[in-house]
Amino acid sequence: MAATTSAPAQHRPPRVSSAVPRGAARLLSVELRRNAMPWILPLIAALFWFDSYRPSTGTAPLYSLRTFWNMGQGHTIIDFGPFVAGVAAWMGSRDGRRGMADLVTATSRPHWAAQLTTWAATAIWAVAAYLVFVGIMFAMYARQGVGGAPPWWWVAVGAMAVAAFSAAGFAIGAYWPTRFAAPVAAFGGFLAMVTSSQTGFSHVNGWAQILPTNSNGNFGNPLTDAGIFYPWMPDVPIVRIMFLAGLAVAALGLTGLPARAGGRGLRRAAALIAIAGVALAGTAVGLTTTARLGPHGIVIPALHDAASDKAVTYTPSCDRAAGLPVCLNPAYRRWLPDVRDALAPLLVELSGLPGAPVRASQVAADNASSPPAITFGGHPPALRMSLGQLNLPGQCGFCRGPVASTQFADEMRLLTAHAFVGAGAGVGSPVQQAVQAVLLNAAGVPFAAQPRAIAAAENLPKPAPGTTGPVYAAARRLDALPVAARHAWLVAHLAAVRAGGLTLADLP
Amino acid sequence: MTAADLHRREPGHVAQPAAGTRSDRAAAAWRLASLYLVSRRAPMALALLAGLGAVQWAALHWHWSIAGGPAARLFLPLTVQTGAAAVIAVTTYGPFGESERAASRCLPWLRAGAVVALTGAAFGALAAGAAAGGLPGGTLALLRDLGGMTGIGLLSAAILGGAFGWVGPMAFLLITEGALAHRSVTPWVWPTRPPDDRGGAICACLVITAGLVLLTVRGPRDARGEPGPAS
Repeated sequence: MAATTSAPAQHRPPRVSSAVPRGAARLLSVELRRNAMPWILPLIAALFWFDSYRPSTGTAPLYSLRTFWNMGQGHTIIDFGPFVAGVAAWMGSRDGRRGMADLVTATSRPHWAAQLTTWAATAIWAVAAYLVFVGIMFAMYARQGVGGAPPWWWVAVGAMAVAAFSAAGFAIGAYWPTRFAAPVAAFGGFLAMVTSSQTGFSHVNGWAQILPTNSNGNFGNPLTDAGIFYPWMPDVPIVRIMFLAGLAVAALGLTGLPARAGGRGLRRAAALIAIAGVALAGTAVGLTTTARLGPHGIVIPALHDAASDKAVTYTPSCDRAAGLPVCLNPAYRRWLPDVRDALAPLLVELSGLPGAPVRASQVAADNASSPPAITFGGHPPALRMSLGQLNLPGQCGFCRGPVASTQFADEMRLLTAHAFVGAGAGVGSPVQQAVQAVLLNAAGVPFAAQPRAIAAAENLPKPAPGTTGPVYAAARRLDALPVAARHAWLVAHLAAVRAGGLTLADLP
Repeated sequence: MTAADLHRREPGHVAQPAAGTRSDRAAAAWRLASLYLVSRRAPMALALLAGLGAVQWAALHWHWSIAGGPAARLFLPLTVQTGAAAVIAVTTYGPFGESERAASRCLPWLRAGAVVALTGAAFGALAAGAAAGGLPGGTLALLRDLGGMTGIGLLSAAILGGAFGWVGPMAFLLITEGALAHRSVTPWVWPTRPPDDRGGAICACLVITAGLVLLTVRGPRDARGEPGPAS
């Protein structure tokens, strides 16, 4: 081809600025197309539905309860992590398994850069799938009218955990390019999550807060009102993201240490990156040891932002019971009829008595001081209900079965009467117990049914069982009075009953 | 080159004795089996199974267990058994593909023999690991659960390919965990049933039989040249 050889060569210097990113993008797109991760995603989707979504639908429709199992106890991570680690190990071991390590080392791009591109493609598939699956789950929750705000910080923790599992699995595959790298990485992922659950369940505070399956202090009762009355506390999610990012960076740095990874400078950079990752993870663990339980969740002083404590503003949903306004947070709107019907008979009995409430309104559960679920306070007095501490009617997840409306009504009346007679957090004096029994009987909880209602109430100390003791004998005496006489006696003596200054013999 | 050249001996070639006697046949069979096992990385698998036995021993000796009731205590031994089933499933991956299938007459027997031998070794390793005491369900449950999970691994290898045979047991572990947490007692999730439960044992036996038959007859899926996770 004389024409070609005789023509002067037209060399155009490559545009470095655009050629490198374009080449990297092309390599990434090839890796995305040739990645094994998409093949495993249908299985993960099925497991995600079975293990993360399906059990959550049995809980009350509040985000803090719906996400207790899948976000708080890390089941979305358990469903993804080990499989992602296994597939990432398979991808990381590819060059070694196929005997192409030397061939790839001889290419223009450093081997480590090519490896990182393979990992990036694997992680992109995994993290994107995680976000899509969680997004679909939250969309279904929204369609079911789940109340409150989704725990977005915990979604970020899950996404970072998936990335960390992919990095750890990839490093295992890169260092041990055999067929066993994938199952060993997946098994290691499962073992890590299992032991994390073991430690997480038994440690409320301290370093164990770093574990991604530890729900203590962040989810569950009495933190049911996270995302409803106050925002989700971001402190623990931030340190967990730091920790997982540190592990991921350290694992990826390790893959750049072997001689075939690249030049000496590149390997030094990889070593520095690995050390930085370990330092980041260590810092996160150190920060976690300073964690303390606040009213709205775990607080880490060095990271805490006062804005996280600001209450969420809302317009309450209200109804009337016995002529008094009963107001709930709109996230609890579906239970307003249950609360109204539960309170109405008792509020009729309390009407006209000293300290009788002029309204009933819902308050946030307080995690730090754990006051009783129902209290009286303010001037004029108001009934304050922390419904987040109660098992609400309907499905409640880990209860023995659905909570019946009558069971809820009995508990509401019991707790309200208990608070009204001034019994506080204890069982109350014998006189307080007797007056409580009379009020409950008048409100539709007969004497005979009261021991069962007290036994079923989770938020109440238990007095001696049975209705045959002196307390119930005195209560029956008081109850036998005509309504007007009983009301008059209560008006005259309620202050003394609350002060604990009467004995059972003082009851008429 | 002519056809006659094919029969010409290479210089220095030492003639092998004719494989006619019983001992010769036994030696050839032994050599074939050992080559097959080496090609499936059985020695490494045995080392990993021994390691899993050690993990089992450590978990029982130092009382690693998830806080909770008897169901929660099952989970760590089940994780170890899942690891063993995954390792066995991955050994089914063959590096030679079509050429091996075309040339070998006794490949099904080799496949079945290797799986049975490795399952036996896994049972031995985990039973030895359980010597620390306190294995929930005892040896009978170990046999049933390991056997069933190995069956799932073999089925998974037949569907996804030997290299991805580990996926099935791992997925089954998650299903078992969900069943334990929510007190489901279907015999198809046999680890949730008591060790002497007939339904659970039958289901586990059916699964390992199906896995063994499918793997023996068809072999693991060979994904070379077609789209799939192992391609």
